[in-house]
Amino acid sequence: MRAFASLPVVVSLMLTSSSGHLPLPQASADESTPESTRIPQSTRFFEPPVTQEPRELPHHPAFREYYFSRVAYTGYPRGWARGLARGGGSWAVDYPKADQIFLSFVDRLLSNLDAYEWQHPVLLDDPELRRFPYLYALEVGYMNLTPPEIDGLRGFLLAGGFLVIDDFWGPREWANFEHQMAQVLPGYPIVALSQDHEIFSTFYEITELLQVPNVRNGWASVNGGSTAECFGCLPQVKGIYDENGRLMVVINFNTDLGDAWEWADDPYYPLKFSTYAYEMGVNMIVYAMSH
Amino acid sequence: MLESLFEFLFKYRLLLFQEGDFAFTSPWPWTIGLILAAALAIPSALTYTAALGDSTAADRGIMAGLRLGALSVILFSLLQPALIITSVVPQRNFVGILIDDSRSMTIADRDGRPRSEFVARNFTGRESDLLEQLAERFTLRFFRFSSRTQRLGDVGELEYSGSRTEIGAALVRAQEELTGVPLAGLVMITDGADNSGEALAESLIPLQAASTPVYTVGLGEEVLSPDIQVSRVEIPRSVLAGASLVVDVIISQRGFQGRTVKLVVEDGGRIVASQDVALKRDGEPVVARVHFAANEVGPRLLRFGIPLQPDERVRRNNMREVLLNVRDEREKILYFEGEPRWEVKFLRRAVADDENLQVVILQRTAENKFLRLDVDTPDELATGFPRTREELFRYRGLVLGSVEASFFTHDQLNMIADFVSERGGGLLMLGGRNAFREGGYQGTPIAQVMPVFMDDELSDGSGPYFAEVDVRPTRSGLTHPAIQLGQNAEAVEEAWETLPPVTTLNPISKLKPGATALLEATAGRSSARQIVLAHHRFGRGKSIVLPIQDSWIWQMHADVDVDDQRHETFWRQLLRWLVDGVPDGVSVETDRERVEVGESVGFRAAVSDSAFMEVNNASVSAFTEGPSGQPVERRMEWTVDEDGVYDAAFVPTEPGLYEIRVEATRAADSLGTGSTFVYVMESDEEYFNSGMRRTTLERVADETGGRFYTPETVSNLPEDISLTGAGVTLTEERDLWDMPSLLLLLMSLVGGEWLYRRARGLI
Repeated sequence: MRAFASLPVVVSLMLTSSSGHLPLPQASADESTPESTRIPQSTRFFEPPVTQEPRELPHHPAFREYYFSRVAYTGYPRGWARGLARGGGSWAVDYPKADQIFLSFVDRLLSNLDAYEWQHPVLLDDPELRRFPYLYALEVGYMNLTPPEIDGLRGFLLAGGFLVIDDFWGPREWANFEHQMAQVLPGYPIVALSQDHEIFSTFYEITELLQVPNVRNGWASVNGGSTAECFGCLPQVKGIYDENGRLMVVINFNTDLGDAWEWADDPYYPLKFSTYAYEMGVNMIVYAMSH
Repeated sequence: MLESLFEFLFKYRLLLFQEGDFAFTSPWPWTIGLILAAALAIPSALTYTAALGDSTAADRGIMAGLRLGALSVILFSLLQPALIITSVVPQRNFVGILIDDSRSMTIADRDGRPRSEFVARNFTGRESDLLEQLAERFTLRFFRFSSRTQRLGDVGELEYSGSRTEIGAALVRAQEELTGVPLAGLVMITDGADNSGEALAESLIPLQAASTPVYTVGLGEEVLSPDIQVSRVEIPRSVLAGASLVVDVIISQRGFQGRTVKLVVEDGGRIVASQDVALKRDGEPVVARVHFAANEVGPRLLRFGIPLQPDERVRRNNMREVLLNVRDEREKILYFEGEPRWEVKFLRRAVADDENLQVVILQRTAENKFLRLDVDTPDELATGFPRTREELFRYRGLVLGSVEASFFTHDQLNMIADFVSERGGGLLMLGGRNAFREGGYQGTPIAQVMPVFMDDELSDGSGPYFAEVDVRPTRSGLTHPAIQLGQNAEAVEEAWETLPPVTTLNPISKLKPGATALLEATAGRSSARQIVLAHHRFGRGKSIVLPIQDSWIWQMHADVDVDDQRHETFWRQLLRWLVDGVPDGVSVETDRERVEVGESVGFRAAVSDSAFMEVNNASVSAFTEGPSGQPVERRMEWTVDEDGVYDAAFVPTEPGLYEIRVEATRAADSLGTGSTFVYVMESDEEYFNSGMRRTTLERVADETGGRFYTPETVSNLPEDISLTGAGVTLTEERDLWDMPSLLLLLMSLVGGEWLYRRARGLI
């Protein structure tokens, strides 16, 4: 299946081209965000989650085929400093740089895909949510869905939408995620995806499950440091199927694909993790759009 | 009445004047007659002009005229006018009498008596005037006809049990039997309800060539009232298991105007559908559209019936039985998509539960990289899109997504066109940024296959076309099985009206001649309509276009309930329709789907190889297997006049279902098998459209030089055959001088003069 492209080579070429700059959208992240895609402000420490304002659809001359839609969910407050410094809730970790770099790679790796080039956050209670059948959510250990969000996500998944979960670690965060999903899809079990699942071979042949570290652990791993963010955490890929055996949710647990996408231009971040993260990212898109 | 008056006044029937020649038979030369006339007329005229009296010039003129008229009548009679008639020589000629022996002759529409009663009364026993007169003049030969024509020794042998009426074949057969004898004509006694399906004109040619007149006697009422009839059932002969059927049932009636009756569909005694049908005006047929699913696999005998209504004239035409072969096969469709698209996911999802459809996906995910899904073997499509006819033609349907024309080689483009025209497959082209004109298909062989033109009237030319469209069924679409999202027309309309809008990048608004649009939408500023679903036949196959890019919105839109099945139903029906009727390498069909025991069943097999090239040198065997389960092998022979077509026939010996299975081989290689079914059972066909067909019978008579009769006028038949028939004839003169009309005319002229004189006081 690794028929035409060697992802590490592509990644390397992209990282070293154009005087070391990534082929990002021209404007900076904040400036490049279209007015109409403005997203809600973060929740503050010791404050209840704010009611998120309705977001308008981006105005495009034509709808694009694929949007990398990041779920802007309601979350728990996450620490004083971090919450203020990043200007976003847990949903917005790595946002928007990870999204932009990921899309710039997708543009080359899936050259036939008609993908919207910009980050694209969506609300789960947005009536237009189902127009974007591919959702990406991370840091779901801090997810605290409101009833309208629960209804919205349930409708999205049961109608045929596809949700990718990423970057949450350890039993506590797992427990929260499990609790949230039990509200969204009561009675739908979370099961492990074995290595021979089609999602590991839809585009790239992925034969080994890697634990993708965040950027700091990535640097450290070069010198033998741990890639895990919690003690003894092993990477897992799990899923939730509908009653007809169709995969609705892919859960990347104890791993951080988003950081690998975001820091793919960092010369000190190990290439093998970026490669794996992009391979997995592309496979999930192709799988979602064909299965 | 008029004919009787004519005969009273002119002594003979009008037919004699039409057939005969007029002549004066006086022995005197005409000059003597002229002199005599002058000798009488001149003195008369002089007398009237000389004797003035009280008369005016006008009086004298009128009276002279009346007198001269009377003299002319006398003179005309003295010249002995006559008709020269050619008539047959008694007992020197033959007449063939063909009597309808089919079941429709038992219909009691002659004052409560069956049509056959006319035959019994006029052609059996010694008391029949008609038979006596005919026998005096001719040597008679009797035939009976229905689906077969046979010589009849005794009219009493008629059983009226024939399952069909074949008028043309009967005439030809009778003429052949009587070849070599002086034939004055053929008399056909029938209701004229021909149901052979053959053109009558061809059968009449040998009769016209031999100048053999046919005299037709029409029995029965032309219009049967009150009566309801299931006239026709429009249903395919073969469908996939689980298919949603939309069957048109045409109901005719007289005498039940404005009533509502129930149409019931049964499958093996189980009611599968029923609906109320409001009848229109008398004589105006109603089309009832019945929806039901064909779930039971195998050959099914479906009954479409209307309960018997009070006082119906014909009781056995309220139900039609049709044979439907429900195939439990998995039809293979190739969907080639040029890019990752949601349509692939949602199309697969829509038809995933349909066990009779296998949609093989070939998706180009990147340049020269393909994703294959649902292939049967590791080798299938391993090199991408098929490069040989054998490889492509194994599929029955082909769906082309957003893939530019330049992706294909010229051979592949031709092959796709041949897939439709020669293989008989179904081609569905979806919309997208690389489809239709936007994909560079103009001028390619595929453009010729499409049911639409790619000329753009919708786009304003300011940029790439994009339109959000509300899709609606057209008038044709409302009745088409592919887009039935409801149980009746209103429900279908509502189902489409409540679907969310979708988008298109392909401005398509012009249909090719012969193409049909099933779905359309208003788009842009143009008044033209965006075509959303259109199709036409192309060669042996069909070509369909669906130029929208995101039908998956019908599944994912917020306004569509999660459990809504419209998207799934649409795609399942569309793909089933795509492969409906696609032929196999070996396909078999019979000339009729129902016959009776003893009737011959002809069947043909079309044989082609894996590239769908017709094969003329195949070894083709047919196995016919009846209800008792003993297959009989028959060898089929190439018909010669058609490439790849072989035929044979058999005569079923027992009632029930027969399977005809055909196997074809060439040089020890199997070319495939095909099968079909035929039902052997008593037919009710004779009771449908069983009113007397006057126009048919008049046409037969007119085109052969004969005449048409009813039981009321048939007494003239013997004489008419004598006068107008062929065979051995003689010429005879019939005097006209003693016609009552001449005497009446003479008396009128003389009496008229006398009355004039009285009135004017000139006596």
